[in-house]
Amino acid sequence: MALLEVTNLKQHFTSKKGVLAEKTIIKAVDGVSITIEEGQTLGVVGESGCGKSSLGRSILGLVQPTEGSIKFKGEEVTEMSSKQMKELRKDMQVVFQDPYASLNPRNTIRQILEAPLIIHKIGNKKERKERIESLVAKIGIRKEQLNNYPHEFSGGQRQRIGIARALTLNPKLIIADEPVSALDVSVQSQVLNLMVDLQQEMNLSYMFISHDLSVVQHISDKVAVMYLGRVVEIANVDELYSRPLHPYTQALLSAVPIADPLQKRNRIVLQGDLPSPANPPSGCPFHTRCPMAVKECASIVPNLEEKSPEHFAACIRV
Amino acid sequence: MLLNVNELSLSLKRAGKYSKILDQISFQVEEGETVGIVGESGCGKSMTALSLMRLLPEKALLEGEVNFQGEKISGYSKRKLEKIRGNQVSMIFQDPLTSLNPLHTVGTQIEESLLLHTKMTKKERRKRVLQLLNDVGLPRAEDLIDEYPHQLSGGMRQRIMIAIAMACEPQLLICDEPTTALDVTVQAQILELMNKIKKETQMGIIMITHDMGVVAEVCDRVIVMYAGKIVEEGPVLEIFQNPKHPYTQGLLDSIPKLGQRKEKLGSIPGTVPAPENMVVGCRFADRCSHAMDICRTVHPPMIGIKENHQTACWLYEEGDEKDGSIGSHKLEAALH
Repeated sequence: MALLEVTNLKQHFTSKKGVLAEKTIIKAVDGVSITIEEGQTLGVVGESGCGKSSLGRSILGLVQPTEGSIKFKGEEVTEMSSKQMKELRKDMQVVFQDPYASLNPRNTIRQILEAPLIIHKIGNKKERKERIESLVAKIGIRKEQLNNYPHEFSGGQRQRIGIARALTLNPKLIIADEPVSALDVSVQSQVLNLMVDLQQEMNLSYMFISHDLSVVQHISDKVAVMYLGRVVEIANVDELYSRPLHPYTQALLSAVPIADPLQKRNRIVLQGDLPSPANPPSGCPFHTRCPMAVKECASIVPNLEEKSPEHFAACIRV
Repeated sequence: MLLNVNELSLSLKRAGKYSKILDQISFQVEEGETVGIVGESGCGKSMTALSLMRLLPEKALLEGEVNFQGEKISGYSKRKLEKIRGNQVSMIFQDPLTSLNPLHTVGTQIEESLLLHTKMTKKERRKRVLQLLNDVGLPRAEDLIDEYPHQLSGGMRQRIMIAIAMACEPQLLICDEPTTALDVTVQAQILELMNKIKKETQMGIIMITHDMGVVAEVCDRVIVMYAGKIVEEGPVLEIFQNPKHPYTQGLLDSIPKLGQRKEKLGSIPGTVPAPENMVVGCRFADRCSHAMDICRTVHPPMIGIKENHQTACWLYEEGDEKDGSIGSHKLEAALH
């Protein structure tokens, strides 16, 4: 049984610009199905506005999903009472993008790390202290620094503290939303390496949301590519990066600048910008920018189909 | 020579005390050449760009010389410098939304530098603006000219920024992270546009970025900065294939590369030192696995490894061409 099983999840938001304007429905997530196995990492990539963060937030229960099912260890999350949700949060934690905004500046690192333990009434004072001290040792922060405030740490250290906070309750799944995007490359690699080490040590599962294709390739076992609220392709990491099937994935991969001046490629440059999720194109959402689009693409909404073993793509042209 | 920067230093007042942000930066840009300046946040790459045009806070202390087309512009008055800004030297910034004025139409903003620097008539200016919009690959220029920045997408805004910068056909274009705020497919469009402009004009370009991928795609020569100093400089191929400075090596090693998956990424321990407490010797010594005694006491001078390739590191001597890795007699000597 998969640790997390999401089926046909929809997350729609209504937005209203001005008093007299009509309500528009933004389909941030529009029928996404994914699974995450224990100890595995699912990478979710896509450009801004593709719904990758909304997907993470509705799985976490931070927003109430419009439709669909989320099963964690076989239990339906969407029907849980708030008491059950609180229990669930021990197993499902989050790491945010901005290490500056996600730590309370008025609390010391000790208070920040102790808060989850106090909320869930775990251990006495001494046990909590031991737990926190063993945690910070793992993330490479000294015990003496526990009484410092977030502003006394660098961006990379803060992000490690954010990871430690997510780990205090021994979760099974961590949803990391762009956890290294705000960091410089040398620090980014420190944090990525730490995440890999912790995963092996604690048998963690990650849902790793990022716009950076190379980072996702590095950390993931399986990768889902999103476009306008839908998963357009999903496969094992090596398969997806070596044989991308969906034209969007192909364009996305060819667009990444490679840090090697000798490597020349045929770049597929997509025309135009991402359409607004409030007013998505008919049929296949990608057909307006797709170099392979035919007439039918404007009317047929392609389903995610298994095109080769374990490799799913939503395109009628492949 | 288009641009010659000689021992440029900059100090800024922070918390009542001056601290050195840039320390004796020297480099050149030739006509038609694209020079990349790379480094992590806080290394001074953006301040270098701003210092060239003296777009600095009030109490900044700037030393050294900036020569543009043989003229010493570092000695120019504010007035005289304004004649160059946006005319012979243009800049493109990272965030197109904050760099465009939300209250003016796209047309007015592109026209502004033409109004300032040329004697074109209104009709000629409009014609030039339309042509510029076309050049940067924007469709329906006739309508666009009367639209406001908020009506456009990020990629379109950045194209407008490029059109503004190109309006007076500058000889030097300074780009400060021009694609960092953009999505990867849009970034690809902008990089393609920049490469097209590069081919069509004889413009010199300074490309400031933290993305080694962008450097590999557009630059001819690379300058690597660390904590306010240039630590390595060389042709793009040389920097990628034969990096000498341990910082450059560490930087290249820590990037996950598309298409090559490895177990563990390289990383550089620690962080960039703050300008307030800068060390005496080599600024990278604290994070460097090859650090020797001399590194902590004397700052290494810039030395030539081979033609056009220089680095500031005590591991090397003048004309010292060795293979990519450090592992020579000198390292052994240092360890013993």
